[in-house]
Amino acid sequence: MDCGTALGKIIAKADGLLPREEAAALAGHLAGCPACAAEDAAVSAAGPALRALTGIRAMEKAPALDAMWTRVRAGIGESRETRRRSSWIARWVWIPAALALAVSAILFYPAETDRSPFHPSTFDVAVEDVESEVATVALVDKGEDLPRVIWIIEDA
Amino acid sequence: MLSAASRKYPGIRAPLLLLLLLFYAVPSGAADTVAVDVAAVYASNDGTSIDPALGTIRGKLRSMFNYTSYRMLDRKRRSLSVGETGEFELPGRRTMRATSLPAQGDKVRLSVQITDGPKNLLATTLGLRRGGMVLVGGPSHQAGVLILLISAE
Repeated sequence: MDCGTALGKIIAKADGLLPREEAAALAGHLAGCPACAAEDAAVSAAGPALRALTGIRAMEKAPALDAMWTRVRAGIGESRETRRRSSWIARWVWIPAALALAVSAILFYPAETDRSPFHPSTFDVAVEDVESEVATVALVDKGEDLPRVIWIIEDA
Repeated sequence: MLSAASRKYPGIRAPLLLLLLLFYAVPSGAADTVAVDVAAVYASNDGTSIDPALGTIRGKLRSMFNYTSYRMLDRKRRSLSVGETGEFELPGRRTMRATSLPAQGDKVRLSVQITDGPKNLLATTLGLRRGGMVLVGGPSHQAGVLILLISAE
C-alpha cells in the first residue's frame, strides 16, 4: 500500500467507514511508515476534538435557541387562536345575512304564482285610451262596488 | 379597512359580499315599483263551480256576468319599475305585456297590450290606485271566455 492510498483509508477509518480487512492492511502500512502513522494519530485525535467543540458551541447557543423556540411556539399558538376566532365569526355572520335575505325576499320579491285570495281595495280605474286592431272593445261600468270591465268582442 | 378585515378574517368575505349584493339588489323604495298581478279566469256555462281561489271576487263575477262556472287557470305577478315591461303568458297562446308608466302619488299607470299571435287584441292605458283592480274579458277560450283580473299594488 502506498502513502496516498493509506491517507484515504486513514480518513475513512476516522469516519468509521473502513472495512475490517482494509483496516488490517492499513495497520500493516502504519507499522512501517512513521509519516502515515503520525497522520493517522492526528486525524484520529481531531474527531473527538471537533465533537467536543461542537458540544461547547451547542451549549453556548442553547439559551438563544430556547428563546427562539419559545417565540415560535407563541407565534403558532397566536395563529391558531386567530384562525379559531375568524372561523367563529365566519360561521355566525351567515345568520344575519341569511335572515336579511329571507326578509327581503318576502318583502320585495313575492312569488310569481301567489295564490293568496284577491282583496282589491278599490275599483277606481281610469281607462285613458283603448283600441284594438281586430276586435270591438266595450267598457262596462256597473258602479263603484264592481270592477270596471274592458270587454273584447272578437270580430268573426 | 374592509380589505384589512377580510385579510384578517378570510371567512367573512363571502357573507359581506352577500350583504352588499342584497343592498344593491333590493329596490330602494317600494314606491318606485309596481307589482302587477294578472289572473286568467276561464268563465263558461260548463258546470256551476266557482274556484275558491278567486276569494272575494267570486261574488263580483257572479253579479257581473252570466256564466255559471269560473276557474282560475293561471296567476302571475311581476314587479315592474317605471318604464319596465313585464310579459304574462296567457292561456291559448295569447300574451299580455304591461309597462309601468310614470304616475303621481299612490296612482299607478299601466300601458297594457294583449296579443293573440300577430293580432293586436287590445292596447290600453289604465290609471289605477295601488290595490285597485280592473277586468279585461272576452277572448274566447274552449267553450267559454277568458277574463283577466289585473291588479296593481
